[in-house]
Amino acid sequence: MSVGSASLDHAGRPDGVLNADALRADARRQALGLLALLSPGLFLVFSIIIVPIGWLFWLSLFDETGQLSLANYARFFEQASYIKTFATTFKVAFVVTGACVLFGYPLAYMLSQLPRRAASICLIFVILPFWTSVLVRTYAWLVILQRKGLINNWLIDLGVIGQPLPLANNFAGVVIGMTHIMLPFLVLPLYASMKTIDVDCLRAGMNLGASPAATFRQIFFPLSLPGLASGVVIVFVLCLGFFVTPALMGGGKVIMWAMRMEQATSLYSNWGAGAALGVVLLAVTLALLGLFQWLLGARATGVWSRR
Amino acid sequence: MTKRLCIHGLAGLLASVTVPASAADTITVASWGGTYQEAQTKAFFDPTAKDLGITIKQDTTNGLDDVRLQVTGNAVKWDITELGADECARGSKEGLFEKLDYNVIDKSGINPKLVHDDWVGISYTSVVLIYRTDVFGDKGPKSWADFWDVEKFPGRRALSGSQATETLSVAALAKGTPIDKVYPVDIDGALQSVDKVKGHIDAWWTSGAQAMQLVKDGEVDMASIWNGRAGTLKKEGAPVSFSFDQGVLTADCMVIPKGSKNKDIAMKALAKFVSPDLQANLPLYVDNGPANEKAFETGKIPQERIKDINSSPENVKKQVLQDPEFWRDNLVEATEKFNNLIQQ
Amino acid sequence: MLLSLAPSALPIGIHGIDKRFGAVSILSDLSLDVAAGEFLTLLGPSGSGKTTLLMILAGFVRANAGSIKVGGEEIITMPPHKRNIGMVFQNYALFPHMNVFNNIAFPLKQRRVSAAETAERVERALDLVQLKGLGERRVDQLSGGQRQRVALARAIVFEPRIVLMDEPLSALDKGLREHMQIELRNLHRRLGMTTVYVTHDQREAITMSDRIAVMNAGRIEQIDQPEALYARPRTKFVTGFIGESNFIPVECRNGSVWYEDRKLHMNDSAPPAGRYLMVVRPEKLRLVPDAQQAGVLNMLPATVGDVIYQGDSFICYATLRDGRQVTLRDYCRSDVLAKLPAPGEPITLGIDAQDVVLVADQ
Repeated sequence: MSVGSASLDHAGRPDGVLNADALRADARRQALGLLALLSPGLFLVFSIIIVPIGWLFWLSLFDETGQLSLANYARFFEQASYIKTFATTFKVAFVVTGACVLFGYPLAYMLSQLPRRAASICLIFVILPFWTSVLVRTYAWLVILQRKGLINNWLIDLGVIGQPLPLANNFAGVVIGMTHIMLPFLVLPLYASMKTIDVDCLRAGMNLGASPAATFRQIFFPLSLPGLASGVVIVFVLCLGFFVTPALMGGGKVIMWAMRMEQATSLYSNWGAGAALGVVLLAVTLALLGLFQWLLGARATGVWSRR
Repeated sequence: MTKRLCIHGLAGLLASVTVPASAADTITVASWGGTYQEAQTKAFFDPTAKDLGITIKQDTTNGLDDVRLQVTGNAVKWDITELGADECARGSKEGLFEKLDYNVIDKSGINPKLVHDDWVGISYTSVVLIYRTDVFGDKGPKSWADFWDVEKFPGRRALSGSQATETLSVAALAKGTPIDKVYPVDIDGALQSVDKVKGHIDAWWTSGAQAMQLVKDGEVDMASIWNGRAGTLKKEGAPVSFSFDQGVLTADCMVIPKGSKNKDIAMKALAKFVSPDLQANLPLYVDNGPANEKAFETGKIPQERIKDINSSPENVKKQVLQDPEFWRDNLVEATEKFNNLIQQ
Repeated sequence: MLLSLAPSALPIGIHGIDKRFGAVSILSDLSLDVAAGEFLTLLGPSGSGKTTLLMILAGFVRANAGSIKVGGEEIITMPPHKRNIGMVFQNYALFPHMNVFNNIAFPLKQRRVSAAETAERVERALDLVQLKGLGERRVDQLSGGQRQRVALARAIVFEPRIVLMDEPLSALDKGLREHMQIELRNLHRRLGMTTVYVTHDQREAITMSDRIAVMNAGRIEQIDQPEALYARPRTKFVTGFIGESNFIPVECRNGSVWYEDRKLHMNDSAPPAGRYLMVVRPEKLRLVPDAQQAGVLNMLPATVGDVIYQGDSFICYATLRDGRQVTLRDYCRSDVLAKLPAPGEPITLGIDAQDVVLVADQ
């Protein structure tokens, strides 16, 4: 209703209508103001995420002669090696994530139980590897793990083994190298979430008759799950796109998706060939994240907590 | 020979006299960087710049993709660039290069397989069989058939996983194909051959540095490796042995990207680069052999060095020359099949 | 049998508890007996050791020395989960990943109580704390008062021998807190469980407790019923911590107590010679209109400083002859109101002999 017609109303309404208009204007101004504040961020997201991904998708639709075609996608079905690479990629991601949980959970737990000062010193050691390049760390692992590397030499010198263990240039090498690189990504969010667990909740558990083990199982562990979940998601997604470590530690036998992108781009002399691989990985990753979110969401709304 | 050199020299002199040095007389040459490009600078670029009185600026390339981007994007920065021979064959098919003027460039002495309308060979790399002498003494595998014979030569093995063309050539040799019958490669036959040894390959290397590291650290006892890397290992005193027997010669080539703004000067410079005189400089600095076999007749290369150069007439006879045009047509299919085979 | 704890309420005997953290002594040689079914409050400022004592009772903190017997059984070395002691935590410590039902069922689940009995007992506990029908609620959907009740239900559903409460009402707003005080008190009366309650709120302690142990610097200053604690505090600390008070310096000599040159009448026998503080609660001071008719009253001349009218009562600030300011409070009965003094007016303050309480002047 316009202000003009409202002013003709004599039942005390004009004021109210005027206020309604003023309130609407306020709300609009506030929304615009917020939008203005957001705009640099939105612009950044648009220009460095949306546009490149859109471009990637666009490129993936062209073959090497520049013709619009689905050839880059059809290849996945024509060449068995792509399915293999895909399977390898997920296998590596699963195993590395599993290994990170196996090593990272006790580590994060220990850190969370330490006094604050000791914990922050230990955390530095967890974060320290971040300051070294992935390439350097991977080569270091190669030196340690290869046939005549430190570990095999020691074990042979000690008489523990007669033949060197195959630790590098294979699946095991990739998993060891990647686990080391990924571990902080799991430990940090997990540690943060463990730190927020109320000590009194654990005391209450014991007070109510749960042994320390039962308290851990029934209270501490479930409460650490959100941190564990975010760590797992970060590690898993980072693993899916990993390049350097599998390329160097896999001995050419463990081909992951990112390595395949590089291969495809140069083999077909066509960005589209690599782009299509990227699009597929992105889609599968998003689908997985969605699934994960759905599972977690179901938990948060209490489906899990019913007995 | 000397006469031609004189004429060339004279031509250069004339050029520098008749065309006064100016900004237009600057060309940009792109190559692979590293020690190889440093060697090229001393062997080719500096002498040419001096002879022609021009400035040669340098850049590095990642290969055909870079050239395609420049040419299709109408932003050609380079006047001459180096590529792998199979890339040259592919780029040629795509029409990315300027035609070469063989009135300016003297092609004699260069293998005709490396002389084309718009590209020309510049140097050779070989894939050779290297083995560790601390494992085998001097009784190591001498041929690819030996390499494939896991019973007679037990030990850990590495082959190239990134260069399917090389590994397939080697695989063809391994099943007894004579050197002159390797090309055209029977791809399925070669793949079957790879399949036989696949279970005994401990690493499929993807870079020269990696191949070197695998052999150097004793991670493998025998491997296929580029001769430059093999030579470096030997110079460093690693316990290794290799020969050019059954080596696979792979050529590099040079092209003038289509749309080069200094095409004529580039042509003259390229003529210099492939001339026997400058070609003979290359092995003085690096293990990549000259593409022009007349380089060995210049007397610039010491006799005792000649036997170590992969493209010396003696060594060329022992090796297979990769056919760039064959791979231009078969690379994709062969590589996909190869990848499919070697993945765990 | 269900949630009728009176028969199983047990006495607690705490003897010679010592607790040090490094060189810092938190509790020293602390002894305390809690009768079966008693509601005992540990009252004291923060740092007085009351929470540490509670933690030692629950088993979360190990004492350096001492003994704790519940119904005659020594529990000092027993791990917390075997002590069978219910506890209500300051922040409730409800399990955020469980709904109300599962929170309350938790102790029963640990004790392998059958599902049917668990359901029944949880229902009754919910009923008891007036949360019937909220079993399916998530913890974060509850108000502060409701959380408090869930915590309480959880602490008593397994019929513990004793119940500990660590400032359970401190997070609630004032109105709710006062309401919950009454409710907790009534619940205790109904169930009769031996309860040790920690608070720093003296009013709360007085409202709820059978007895109050006032703690200071790791020791118990005085343990008594609320009325006695208020009327006859034994130390200056206890006096100051509970209620308001006027401290008037007095001296004891020759078997009598003197304020300046006035001999004071008191019911208690005089303490040994020395300097003391006379404790006078503001409501025990009286305005004496006519000194001659006062009888046995102790009378102190003073000058009115200010009179503040508060509706139901008034406060009169007066200055004694030695310059000390005292506070007087009285109800606004019409006879009193009629004779309210004006500022600057000389008055006489009266104290009954029975209200004269002396504490050491430390």
